[in-house]
Amino acid sequence: MASHKMSARDVNVFYGEKQAIRNVSIDVDKENVTAFIGPSGCGKSTFLRTLNRMNDTVVGCRTEGRIELDGEDIYASEMDVVLLRARVGMVFQKPNPFPKSIYENIAYGPRIHGLAENKSAMDHVVETSLHRAGLWNEVKDRLQESGTALSGGQQQRLCIARAIAVDPEVILMDEPCSALDPIATAKIEELITELRGRFAIVIVTHNMQQAARVSQRTAFFHLGELVEYGATADIFTNPTQTRTQDYITGRYG
Amino acid sequence: MPLSMIAVIVLALGAIAFAAARSKARLFKPVGTERLHSRPNYHAAHMLLWVVVPALIFVAMWSFVAPRLINQSILTSPAASELPPPGIERDAVLNEIRDLATGKLEVSFNPAAEQLAPVYRDARDHYTILGGIAAALLAYAGGGYAWTRLRREFRARNRVERAVMVVLVAASLIAIFTTFGIVISLLFESLLFFQKVSPAEFFFSLEWSPQTAMRADQVGSSGAFGAVPLFWGTIFIGAIIAMIVAIPLGLMSAIYLTQYARPRFRAWMKPLLEMLAGVPTVVYGYFAALTVAPAIRDAATWAGIPGASSESALAAGVVMGVMIIPFVSSMADDSLAAVPQAMKDGSLALGATPSETIRRVLVPAALPGVVGGVLLAVSRAIGETMIVVMAAGMAANLTLNPFATVTTVTTQIVALLTGDQEFDSAKTLAAFALGLTLLIVTLILNIIALRVVKKYREAYE
Amino acid sequence: MSDRAPGIGGDLPVTSNPSRWNSDVMQRRVARRYASERRFRRIGLFAVALSAGFLAFLLLSMVINGARGFTQTEIKLTVNFPSIAAGVTPAALSAKGGDEALSGLDLEGLAASEATAAYGENGAALLSDGAWLTLRDAIKSDPTLITRKGEMWVPASVEIDAAAKGRGDTANTRLVAQLKTNGQIKTGLNKTFFTSSDSTDPTVVGIWGAFKGTLLTMLVTALLAFPVGTLAALYLEEYAPRNRWTDLIEVSINNLAAVPSIIFGLLGLAVFLNFFHMPRSAPIVGGLTLALMTMPVIVIASRNAIKAVPPSIRDGALAMGASPVQVVFHHVLPLAMPGILTGTIIGMARALGETAPLIMIGMRAFISSPPTSFTEPATVLPVQIFLWSDEVSSGFVEKTSAAIIVLLVFLMTMNATAIYLRNHFERRW
Repeated sequence: MASHKMSARDVNVFYGEKQAIRNVSIDVDKENVTAFIGPSGCGKSTFLRTLNRMNDTVVGCRTEGRIELDGEDIYASEMDVVLLRARVGMVFQKPNPFPKSIYENIAYGPRIHGLAENKSAMDHVVETSLHRAGLWNEVKDRLQESGTALSGGQQQRLCIARAIAVDPEVILMDEPCSALDPIATAKIEELITELRGRFAIVIVTHNMQQAARVSQRTAFFHLGELVEYGATADIFTNPTQTRTQDYITGRYG
Repeated sequence: MPLSMIAVIVLALGAIAFAAARSKARLFKPVGTERLHSRPNYHAAHMLLWVVVPALIFVAMWSFVAPRLINQSILTSPAASELPPPGIERDAVLNEIRDLATGKLEVSFNPAAEQLAPVYRDARDHYTILGGIAAALLAYAGGGYAWTRLRREFRARNRVERAVMVVLVAASLIAIFTTFGIVISLLFESLLFFQKVSPAEFFFSLEWSPQTAMRADQVGSSGAFGAVPLFWGTIFIGAIIAMIVAIPLGLMSAIYLTQYARPRFRAWMKPLLEMLAGVPTVVYGYFAALTVAPAIRDAATWAGIPGASSESALAAGVVMGVMIIPFVSSMADDSLAAVPQAMKDGSLALGATPSETIRRVLVPAALPGVVGGVLLAVSRAIGETMIVVMAAGMAANLTLNPFATVTTVTTQIVALLTGDQEFDSAKTLAAFALGLTLLIVTLILNIIALRVVKKYREAYE
Repeated sequence: MSDRAPGIGGDLPVTSNPSRWNSDVMQRRVARRYASERRFRRIGLFAVALSAGFLAFLLLSMVINGARGFTQTEIKLTVNFPSIAAGVTPAALSAKGGDEALSGLDLEGLAASEATAAYGENGAALLSDGAWLTLRDAIKSDPTLITRKGEMWVPASVEIDAAAKGRGDTANTRLVAQLKTNGQIKTGLNKTFFTSSDSTDPTVVGIWGAFKGTLLTMLVTALLAFPVGTLAALYLEEYAPRNRWTDLIEVSINNLAAVPSIIFGLLGLAVFLNFFHMPRSAPIVGGLTLALMTMPVIVIASRNAIKAVPPSIRDGALAMGASPVQVVFHHVLPLAMPGILTGTIIGMARALGETAPLIMIGMRAFISSPPTSFTEPATVLPVQIFLWSDEVSSGFVEKTSAAIIVLLVFLMTMNATAIYLRNHFERRW
């Protein structure tokens, strides 16, 4: 039985008057990849963003309930959001490398957090992170080139490397492959599988096959509610809820 | 009867023709299933155009020709033999004659004017009546032609719409005419200037003292036209001191208002700051001269800085910087807004604080836009006139001391062209050479700025 | 870079100390980062406050200086008009040529002598140099005055005026206090300021002449720039084919919007005055020059307003068989009008505050009577402000600021109207 890295209890999220998430309770495993699936607008991305408090940046967004990271309430007043986000990294739907060099993209996080004492330590962090993201061999000769000059799939792996460079405990991925072609997608999925175990990974995906391929646990969201959560194999072969069944058999979505 | 009366009469004829054509066109009946091509109003408008336009064009031309004809007849009258030879004096007498004849003057200084006033009056009446008859004939001819076309199947709408298009094109062409007017007039006068003063002296010589002597035979009547001190003064005030004030204040204001301020605060503060750009420059100039400059001079004297003057580069530059703040801040505002939210999210998700995100991601990403905005602001600052005229001074100093008085290109343009002027003296023409230089520099700055901004916008689209 | 990089998914952490987030070093670092965050934020707020502070200081200093310009101190003077009448009768004054008869009277000497009689040796110094103008105007409006004694309130001199407003030296302040107890002095609304024109004496100057010049100039500008700007925008946005001519027009308009205003003054001087020989200092020339300057602003604003009208409206009208001209004039133009008007008002407000180009075409002349036509010499408010700011007499300071207040009130009204139009009539599609 895997231990829980994060756990959410009775989480409600509001955008102004509108409620986007209703009473969601869920545990995220340390060693597994957890997939959030559901039709668009079901709240899966919103919920993902509550896990590292990225919703704080949205004007008018309000979160209720309790979310813990290793038993600490991340919405508690003594929780430092800057350190929280260093521990819970995030990769976005569209690759968003900074308009800086590849090297500087990776070095950005370690630099602001002061994780490398000197240049050679920073070189090491950059190289290790690029290795882990499977990008090293492709970019090792062009580290000073702009990160925006890479292909879409490479940019997304650069963003993953950027998140890894801070050495987070959890990595949140918000539909990381939706803007990529199938070959790039396959590479990212392969990478997720390789990163599993080092980091707790939560991935939001629109693509059920992807969830089946990369995740061990799957949560199905519908209309802001968590409908069903369990082992991926069970969700896809033997769902307990009719709504889940309707969705995975393609009745709506 | 003045010419404007003729124009009114032509318009009245046009109105009558319009009404007549419309009532006739109303009687047109469609034949069979075919529909009427043009509604009565179009037929009437077609009529109106033919009556009014040729006649008014004639009146406009006549208003240029008639005064010359009138002058001609005055000069050929026997009493004109006593008039002074052609030149300023004769023009003065002619003006006097005109004023006497129109009743603006009651007594004349020049006896000849008294005699010639009736001649003027006769000639004026003669030519006005002549013009009136010609205009009426033209209106009648135009109307007659249009009347022959006034038939059921005549496509009046197409004709009228073509006329509308001609008007639209003409309106657009005014922009080109203005541009050509500016370029040609500046170029023409500048070429005259460069025949008197070599371009090398103008652009590279360090001494500026354009005070040409009153009489041509006086010593030192040539003046010195080395514009380098003016260029330096312009750059010192507009591109250095003003920017030192405007860039940090404008950029930080934009950052605070877009990234930190609550929406309500922003909704009030942004228009308030934009008011800084709406205050007329003469008000800034007065403020600089009355309040800022004396304060700066006193402070400099108190601190023992030599060369402090009551008209200083610093006073003009600081006030100009304040005026420029909204330009910098609105350009910075646009550029920051153009950086995708994803960029900001990416940085925040790595655990960066908002200020780290702004300094290390947003501002570098927005930098081309900000630089473009600063270039526009510089081009605006160096072309600004009233602040420097009122607060910077007249002495062409090549100095690095911001407390000293310097002069600028625009200040000198104003100084050279006010007061008594002889139009073709080197002094007056120098103003046009300065204007040409200013125009070229501002246009180059603008073109670069717009290129930079455009490239930057494309990068995020 | 080191050679000992671990492979993908290696067990080593990226950095050396995994539990670093709670270390003292990290805590101190975070505290420092937050301090810098607060500092940055404060700098931002300071920049906003400083910019707003400049504006407030500017406006406040104008209001403080200018408020006094709207009031004027007057001194009571009993004037014995018959003493200088020298046979001039009321009938002669009201007949044709009366102005000449009036100018033959020594009103200046009369004012001085009456002041000396009433207030002693230095009495004449109490009065403004322009005090006799009050006497002249009084006789003009009531010629029978010449036959009797009249009690008049005439403007006080600059020094007395300042003292009455609490800014004079001790001697004058004492004098004013004494006059006040006798009821021989009063400070009230300066009506002259709104009804008279420029003068060499600050106590009798007014903005009416400059104001009228501004009105005439702006009328010319609006009548030219608004139709031309709107029509040009319609052409460029709705009909212009994509070719080199259109590009040339667009480049011209964009560049003209960036040309310094003084260059337009040079254009006006070279073309309108020296080439077409139009009258110097005249509102028509000023209006033409400002129209050329304002037109690009109106074109750009109008194009944006026209662009904002959705194509579906054009398609709908075209589908009903309307001609392209009808589509534009019946549908597009009315819908774009609020935006066009907003742009026009903003452009006009800019023209209203413009000084430099008008100085170039000679509108800085000393104009002591308001212009009555478009071709007479005139000046405008901003130029009047510029001229007064150059005056040596300290009495002009408050008049200049007062004129600035009037100008700013106009500009703010125009801009507020533009904002109102934008907020209430501009539709979001």
